[in-house]
Amino acid sequence: MFQYVIKRLISTVPVLLGISLLLFVMLRMLPGDPAQVLAGQMATPEEVEVIRHQLGLDRPIHVQYALFLARLAHLDLGRSARTQNPVIQEIWARLPNTVLLAVLAISLACLFGIPAGIVAAVRPNSWIDYLVTSSALVGISMPVFWLGLMLVVVFSVLLQWLPAGGTGSWKHVVLPSLTLASFVVAFIARMTRSSMLEVLSQDYVTTARAKGLKELWVITKHALKNALIPIITVVGLQFGMLLGGAVLTETVFAWPGLGRLIVDSILARDYPMIQGTILVFGLLYILVNLVVDLIYAVVDPRIRYE
Amino acid sequence: MKGIRGRTKGFILCIAAVLALGLTCQARLATADIKELRIGIGIDADTLNPQEQTTSLFFNMCELIYDTLFYETPEGKMEPHLATGYEVSKDGLTWTIRLRKGVKFSDGTPFDAHVMKLTFDRALDPKRRVPLRFAINMVKECIVVDDYTIQLKLKFPFAPLLGALAMSLVSPISPAAIEKYGDDVRQHPVGAGPYKLAEWVKGDRIVLVRNDNYWGPKPTVERLVFKIVPETATREAMLRAGQIDICYKPSPANVKALKADPKITVEMPLDTRTIFMGMNCQKGPTKNKLVRQAFNYAVDKKAIVKKILFDTAQPMDGPVSPLLFGYARMDHQYDYNPKKAKELLKKANFDFSRTIHMRTPNGRYLFDRQVSETVQAYLQAIGVKVELRTYDWPTYIAGLLKPLDQTELELFLLGWGPLFLDADMALYGQFTCEVNPPKGLGSSFYCNPEYDAIMKQSRLELDREKRRQLLIKASKIIWEDCPWIWLHVEKFVIAYSSKIKGLVVTPTEKFYPTYVTME
Repeated sequence: MFQYVIKRLISTVPVLLGISLLLFVMLRMLPGDPAQVLAGQMATPEEVEVIRHQLGLDRPIHVQYALFLARLAHLDLGRSARTQNPVIQEIWARLPNTVLLAVLAISLACLFGIPAGIVAAVRPNSWIDYLVTSSALVGISMPVFWLGLMLVVVFSVLLQWLPAGGTGSWKHVVLPSLTLASFVVAFIARMTRSSMLEVLSQDYVTTARAKGLKELWVITKHALKNALIPIITVVGLQFGMLLGGAVLTETVFAWPGLGRLIVDSILARDYPMIQGTILVFGLLYILVNLVVDLIYAVVDPRIRYE
Repeated sequence: MKGIRGRTKGFILCIAAVLALGLTCQARLATADIKELRIGIGIDADTLNPQEQTTSLFFNMCELIYDTLFYETPEGKMEPHLATGYEVSKDGLTWTIRLRKGVKFSDGTPFDAHVMKLTFDRALDPKRRVPLRFAINMVKECIVVDDYTIQLKLKFPFAPLLGALAMSLVSPISPAAIEKYGDDVRQHPVGAGPYKLAEWVKGDRIVLVRNDNYWGPKPTVERLVFKIVPETATREAMLRAGQIDICYKPSPANVKALKADPKITVEMPLDTRTIFMGMNCQKGPTKNKLVRQAFNYAVDKKAIVKKILFDTAQPMDGPVSPLLFGYARMDHQYDYNPKKAKELLKKANFDFSRTIHMRTPNGRYLFDRQVSETVQAYLQAIGVKVELRTYDWPTYIAGLLKPLDQTELELFLLGWGPLFLDADMALYGQFTCEVNPPKGLGSSFYCNPEYDAIMKQSRLELDREKRRQLLIKASKIIWEDCPWIWLHVEKFVIAYSSKIKGLVVTPTEKFYPTYVTME
């Protein structure tokens, strides 16, 4: 097991290198460059050239990439083209916000999504099943942006209970995490329902019931545990996505997370910043996947890693 | 008679005394400290080094931190701030500027002529990132005359220089801070303005506190919190909910609703920025002047302003914003007249089977894409085939800067906002041959030696009135030649709590909360 983890961790290196190379080339194929954006509309070509030189963009692309790798070897992601602050520092300033929001959203989603899915599966085609499936449908189809704004109007403007945006207190995190969770909860509820339905029709569940076990016991111990694998997969994937930042939610609620950072950086062609953030996203995603794989083994003892 | 007079006199005196008492009370109320003012803005600053700025919002913030040599009032008058006066030599090549004595930076470092020299040296250093250097590029060098006098030696006479001296582009940074932080001074600004930086949480807020060393009257507001709220709808909601006091640039679509709210004041002075649909004057169908004029008649600019922009703009009636020195309303107006447009196109032997390519940025200017779509529809209405493409800003600007032999530009939407109230920046910066791409963003490729000669002459002309006449003369030529479909002049919209009184809002998209009072 320990060896497996080490092996997986080592294998992240070529993956990240691949990502970085692809990104490096693709970014520079895009029209426009950070120097032009930084210089603004009124600058003369000479001023743009000065900035281009300062950013090292006037060097051949393979030299730029080599320099990037050399820095990366020292865990240095370079400096942002826009702010000239170390990329690591800029990411570090926002990462806790993103992680906080992602953890809260995924916890809320599991807390409501899994029980809802179970209940819906236990009573298929009942009113409660319809309620769960239809609200899940609404949750998935509702634009996050719109939901966020509606929450702002109701809880912030009309009731004045919660702040509309920003950070600072636990109150600030309520609306954005609810908004994010609404989307994820729907996914989880649907996945739980279908997975549970499948398991509940298995022979061993019938056997458990025939043994005279209590229904609650049958559902939680025998059915749920076996239905968990696909649910964990979905939760893991969604969590990985949330760690990549939730641009729309962050924008609506003025939440300073990684999502907005990456979008702003792309719009300004801030190459070092984009490279840095994408690499961090990649790393987080790989780690989440690894953890998910390890949880599989805990939940299902038949799964073993050598 | 006399007695009555005496009594009247007494009565008047009495009233005067009461009034005076009332006034002093009010005055005392007015100067009472305001603890905090929260301002919702859309973007975070990249840098707080004034020389590195490109956007008016952060020039604005830099002025609060650094102050400026001169201050341009909303009416366009120049008031002395860090400078106390200036003289220009007869040949226009030497500007002598007297500096204010007793000024200290917020870190206690004294301000003097040597600091100003350092400031100019840095601003003119070709190795430094100074995007708007062109505004002061005619300065050859800065000379220290005595501790409180500097002289600017110019390469050539440049009458509009005073406007540039009112920008924070040449605001002094504390030399001690430059020494301590080097280039990182952009993250640790220290200036001589009414405020100083207290906290900067990236992507979240910038907090300024009153600078106790400030030379001028003590600011009434103790703390200014700039909250970064990218979504306009959220900004407006926060204003309504009282979570911010000032909302920078709310959405035009909601201006009416905000105005209807008695708790909110909306100001929208006319801006210096003009929005236009540029036309390539040297390539393609718009090479023909008649076609360009026809397109101007084909578009109903009044309708665009009213229906798309909710009156947060005003149709152009001259080639520059009415606020600029050198503006004149043109006698002839291109009022909406599709019939005349069609006639002109016929006269120009216009090829109706050819598709014209139009490009637009998306989200750079107020409803830019929607405005372009409307122009497209108006042109299609007179039988012109137009294809519209939308780009993100970096891609867009890269396309605008290609030289003539590579350019694919035919019709393109762009905005141009002079940073001080002088038509030079607009007329020179867009229409002279020397700003044709790739050297500048005069992407209409308008190049007319006669026009250039007038503009060059205007820069040498030190007599204000004569210079104004030259600018108007140039305006008339350009208005007739139509390198643009003249669309509209934007308004700068700012909404704030009605409790705030005395907020200074300028046409250069700036606002000064320094001396506001609260009811």
